[in-house]
Amino acid sequence: MQEFINQFFDVGFMLDHFDEVLEGFWVNLQLFAIAAVIALLWGLVLALLRQIPGRPAKPIRGLTIAYIDVFRAVPLLILILAFGLGIPSLDFLPKALRLPQWFGKPDSFWLGCLALVVTYGAYMAEVYRAGIEAIPGGQMEAARSLGMSHFQSMRNVIVPQAVRKVPAPMLNELIALLKDTTLVSVIALNEVIQTATDIQTKTFNSSALTLGSLMFLVIILPLARVVDRMIARNQSRVTRGSHIEVA
Amino acid sequence: MAEAMVKLSGIQKSFGALEVLKGVNLEVAKGEVVCILGPSGSGKSTLLRCVNLLEPPEQGEIFLEGHDICKGPGSGTGEQSWELNFVRQRVGMVFQQFNLFPHKTVVENVTMAPREVLGKSREEAEAKAKELLERVGLGDKFDQYPERLSGGQQQRVAIARALAMEPRVMLFDEVTSALDPELVKEVLDTMRELAEEGMTMLVVTHEIGFAREVGDQVVFMDGGVIVEQGKPAAVLDDPREERTKQFLGLVLER
Repeated sequence: MQEFINQFFDVGFMLDHFDEVLEGFWVNLQLFAIAAVIALLWGLVLALLRQIPGRPAKPIRGLTIAYIDVFRAVPLLILILAFGLGIPSLDFLPKALRLPQWFGKPDSFWLGCLALVVTYGAYMAEVYRAGIEAIPGGQMEAARSLGMSHFQSMRNVIVPQAVRKVPAPMLNELIALLKDTTLVSVIALNEVIQTATDIQTKTFNSSALTLGSLMFLVIILPLARVVDRMIARNQSRVTRGSHIEVA
Repeated sequence: MAEAMVKLSGIQKSFGALEVLKGVNLEVAKGEVVCILGPSGSGKSTLLRCVNLLEPPEQGEIFLEGHDICKGPGSGTGEQSWELNFVRQRVGMVFQQFNLFPHKTVVENVTMAPREVLGKSREEAEAKAKELLERVGLGDKFDQYPERLSGGQQQRVAIARALAMEPRVMLFDEVTSALDPELVKEVLDTMRELAEEGMTMLVVTHEIGFAREVGDQVVFMDGGVIVEQGKPAAVLDDPREERTKQFLGLVLER
């Protein structure tokens, strides 16, 4: 038991390596922030493509559904490995795309980011879809009968209401995304897990991994409470009989 | 008679195996108010929704001011074709459930389509909205959100919203059916004023009194066809068809 505690919960060891681990965690936060912004937009684009009506748009809907299904099914870890190891060897691409080093970040950062966006875009598209489908059909009918096009109706009527319905499930996706940034360690990005396992290899002590976990806890635990509060607030609005919140 | 504002001929529409409209013919002159009565499932709402192509008919022709609106490119598919813009800018519709946009204020509800579709400036659209909202008696509700309004007020905003597109024809689909009884009158009064100003109106309703007083023509539908039509007094007080008598008996009994 003592050995276990020394191995994982050596507080002095944690303090000694705090700066190093925090530096790694900072990479996770940056990766998260960039991937989250892009995935939130990409997911909305996918959700909207899926909703285009009419027969001519059928191929677009089909491709979108195929994309969403495939990238929710492929394990993210495989995708990170495939992008991280595969894209640099596509020699027909210009070097700036094969081995992107934008803003002083290594290519593993950007290729990992791409894998996260591809996967989480698909997840988030489904969250938006649930929001869009929760809007009563009469809203679209009213908008269309006023002469607005499908796109105008989506932009002015449906999407603004749908996005007000999704913050709680979307925050769950964002929490999962934050944790999944650690998977990019498999293509040698110096983020928190990579840093901690390096320390572990050198010192035979795993407490740096525990410290990394604690950093996730500090960020995520308050967010979980925020989700609870959002759901509770939504619930009380539903029971009051109003189906949408207004400013 | 002058050219009909709306002319329906042989309108047929099915939902799957269910044939909802079995060849309906109807002519509405400019400025005329046609009230459509009938039991639920008779096809009266579907007929109304055919006129602005929310439900494109499978067979038959619809003429709007003499234009055949089912014959454009991509006709009958009901999507993104020229006739949709043509039709929807000329035909306003008001729904049973109001369908106001809950995330927008009253004035934003009314100005959205004129700004988006007609390209009006904010000032222009708001000036028109103010005029229309005052006309329906809601000049003081400008910046309210719909959820703060009563059902009757919401429905009057919906009427103002449709009028903001300056339609030639207005469709009313059971617009008082979702209202508390004491709120029905304010909406019917608004509609009556609109009729007096010469608006062409197709009104699906269960309000026999309104049909008698305001209607120029009453149409009784059942089973996807028009069973009887004519002057309100003729159809309502002296129906020829057994089915009409039966229905009116049940409705007036309440």
